[in-house]
Amino acid sequence: MAMLKSIPGINSASTTDMAVLKPVSVATPGGASDINFSRFIADLPWWLLPALAAIFMMWPLAAYAQSTYTMADATSALVKWLPFLVFQGFVFNILISITTMALGTFAGVVLGLMQISPNRLISKPAWLITQTFRNSPWLVLLFIVMLAFPFKIEIGGLIIQIPDWIKAVFGLSLPIMANISEVVRGAIASVPSGQWEAAESLAYSRQQTLWRIILPQCFKRMIPPWMNWYAILTMATPLVSLLGVEEIVTLSRQAMAAENGRPELLVPFYGFCLVIFFAYCYPIARGTIALERKYTVKL
Amino acid sequence: MFKKSLKLGIATGVALATAVTAAAAAQCSNDTWKKVMSAGKLVVGVKADYKPWGFRDPSGKLIGMEADMAQDVADAMGVELEMVPVQSSNRMQFLEQGKIDLMIATMSDREDRRKIVGIVGPNYYTSGTNVMSPKAVGITKWEDLKDKPVCGKQGAFYNKIVTERYGAKVVAFTGNAEAKQALRDKKCIAWVYDDSSIMSDLSSGEYNDFEMPLNSEDDNPWGLAVPLAEKNCVFGNFMSGMQYNWLSSGRLIELEKKWGIQPTKFLADKKEQYKDWLAK
Repeated sequence: MAMLKSIPGINSASTTDMAVLKPVSVATPGGASDINFSRFIADLPWWLLPALAAIFMMWPLAAYAQSTYTMADATSALVKWLPFLVFQGFVFNILISITTMALGTFAGVVLGLMQISPNRLISKPAWLITQTFRNSPWLVLLFIVMLAFPFKIEIGGLIIQIPDWIKAVFGLSLPIMANISEVVRGAIASVPSGQWEAAESLAYSRQQTLWRIILPQCFKRMIPPWMNWYAILTMATPLVSLLGVEEIVTLSRQAMAAENGRPELLVPFYGFCLVIFFAYCYPIARGTIALERKYTVKL
Repeated sequence: MFKKSLKLGIATGVALATAVTAAAAAQCSNDTWKKVMSAGKLVVGVKADYKPWGFRDPSGKLIGMEADMAQDVADAMGVELEMVPVQSSNRMQFLEQGKIDLMIATMSDREDRRKIVGIVGPNYYTSGTNVMSPKAVGITKWEDLKDKPVCGKQGAFYNKIVTERYGAKVVAFTGNAEAKQALRDKKCIAWVYDDSSIMSDLSSGEYNDFEMPLNSEDDNPWGLAVPLAEKNCVFGNFMSGMQYNWLSSGRLIELEKKWGIQPTKFLADKKEQYKDWLAK
């Protein structure tokens, strides 16, 4: 768009007092701010990971030069516990994040579609639920679910124990649900209204328009923010360690206790957690940026 | 008329007697015991972050003195053992909720806890409250802790003692490593914990600038626990027997040695006290 012609009433002072149809304001698809987090991660240089790892391994040497516990001791302790921390700890974090994302996405899509319902009895409650869970601290939601949910359910004499991590998945999927709901609503709103009008003129019903015309266009736009939320969620999974779920942070603490609770181990062990989360989320962030670039709608 | 009321009286009496018997029977349904025996599996809650009592080996297996005790119990019952890691903050809930059948998790035997879980005697171990503090601080009596920041571990009852009795300001951490780091960083003047654990830290040579300057307080026996409903039933009585045998046979002294715990006078005394009078 080179030079816009001066249109009275739109980009220059109105010269008429007659009714003028102004252009529809179109929201930026996906919203640039949707993936700020991924953008931040993806903008970090790739060599940050080895650099961080090196710093955390060297830390005991620098901080406790007077101690008899050397860097080699701390490193060998970490190496010894590495398989345990990764395969029983981090893999569990991944499992929690994937389960939560699946649950949160399903509920979020339903809630998002409810939000755009023309029926106010449906759209208003959906809006309220979305805003409530979107603006609540995740940890508070986790605590509420943890304490309010039963630890077992009885169905006709059959007792099913609900493990803590399942409750944690429920707790974490509430804010994910609310945020995905907003992603869905935003993506649908970002489809130019002309699409709705064109569909209507071709005698499509509202349901047909939504399923056959609008949603297929939204799908691609939703992928980058959806991946962004997945990365944020993965980073948030250590929260569940506060509820006694045996994920990587809980197991790191137990490993440090088994190594006599030496304070020298704190930085290497927690540093390792940081590095492994970074290693997992960095490719996701880069992919998010790449997809977003690919799917940006040029208007 | 008289006959009728007599009949009624007898009927009421019989009904009452039946009700009483039923209530007595309900008191000992032995649900947990029966469940363990029929499933062939005993689920025991032990610590995973309390070396050398309950901790992990690098493969993730739970080991330690209390893990060995749990194995003894399962062997005596002739069932498989499953160990579940518990924390100070959730161990009693796990037992109440039936997630575990038995809890052997370094728990101090306190009156308030006896109302929640079935702690049975004789107690198998004891420890006192003490502090580790830098020599430079020069603490000489418990009163020196008044209004001073003291590091502690979340969920430990030692925190309550120093707060209520000596007015210390306890800063509680999730792990011992974090708490000891805070002590080194001079965020608190002392680290309050159990005396046997502090002794082993001091003897490791890593804490040469630190000391345990006070006399241990509240030598508090530890208790293992079964569900409250089973306390005076088969399971509770069985666990009392287990503990009596552990103490009188010297099995716990053996385990103490195996896990490098400093020999305690408590276990030696108990062995003497419960000695078989016919033994030569």
